[in-house]
Amino acid sequence: MIKRKLMLLFACALPLSAFAAVPEFTIEIRDHLFFPSTLVVPANTKIKLVVLNQDPTPEEFESYELNREKVIMGGAKAIIFIGPLKPGDYPFFGEFNPKTAQGVIRAQPEG
Amino acid sequence: MMVDAILLVLREVLEAALIITILMVMSRKLGFSLHWILVALVMGTLSSWALAHYAYTIADALGGTGQEWTNALLYFMVVLAFIVIAAFIAPLLFNTPHQLRHLAREDTPRLNRQLLVAAAIFAVGLSLAREVAEIWIYLGGFAQQPDKLESALTGGAIGLGIGASLGAITYYLLVFISVRRFIYLLFSFLILLSGGLATQIAKQLLQIGVLDSAAPLWDTSRLVNEHSWLGELLYALIGYDSSPSAIQVIFYWLAVTPLIVIGIWQWRRRKLAHA
Repeated sequence: MIKRKLMLLFACALPLSAFAAVPEFTIEIRDHLFFPSTLVVPANTKIKLVVLNQDPTPEEFESYELNREKVIMGGAKAIIFIGPLKPGDYPFFGEFNPKTAQGVIRAQPEG
Repeated sequence: MMVDAILLVLREVLEAALIITILMVMSRKLGFSLHWILVALVMGTLSSWALAHYAYTIADALGGTGQEWTNALLYFMVVLAFIVIAAFIAPLLFNTPHQLRHLAREDTPRLNRQLLVAAAIFAVGLSLAREVAEIWIYLGGFAQQPDKLESALTGGAIGLGIGASLGAITYYLLVFISVRRFIYLLFSFLILLSGGLATQIAKQLLQIGVLDSAAPLWDTSRLVNEHSWLGELLYALIGYDSSPSAIQVIFYWLAVTPLIVIGIWQWRRRKLAHA
């Protein structure tokens, strides 16, 4: 009986924990380039983006479409929350090296 | 490379140049000395250097959200300074040209003048701190590459020059309009700038997940692209955002409402005095 109650409780808590866990994606900056340059993420979901700047020089992650901008010092890590995004492409760039540092976040419906 | 530096520096200084210009014209129209601008420039440059120097520490603070909290705080303090300035110049709205000359030149209490100047110093200093810090960080990246540093510095100087020239042109255009018209213009600018800065506060909090993003309320990127020159200019003037989320719009109105209330209150007071 107790076991069943616990299972029930667990089942109720599951959607909550699923809601709390924000999917994490990583982008690296190397030689003023973004890796990957196209990052596929689930649409309509809040996402935690971890940007690792492997260059010794600073970079600014900027996107008009995503409404984000953040300076990332050389060798440092930055966290940027984005979304929920409608399906589509969202370009981003490195403001300090705009010619080379270009990338796209592609929001795709899951399934 | 040099063009990148020009554009980056220009983008950073455009908003600060606008704020400096309009507040300098305010001092001139109200018969204040312009010495405060030097204090503001020194304060702004020193604090921008400190922000850039401690950029790693700031970025790591508060679980990696230090940069956003610092920016949000700086934006917030500039909005507060604008509200203080608006409150002090509001009594000059809706006056006849004769009353205005009298009020502006002679009757402004000394304490009010000092508070107004202090608010102007804070508005300029804190705006510069944030914008110029980014320029230091950008230029600092070239420290180990003398050839690139040289072209970045040249580009930066050109960008700064263009920004300063645009400021100077605006200054002389504004100097020639009447005090009465300028007070209206200043008040409108303060409303627009405060609203724009408030949406930036929301943006910082969205970025660190403190506020939850939702789908943008509208998307005017086809009408005015944020990449375009008009987009950049509108961004500096009114914090233009082609696809703001609802929370940004709420922040906009939170900042703008006190200024509008001050304006309406003055208008009613003036109307009652004439009745």
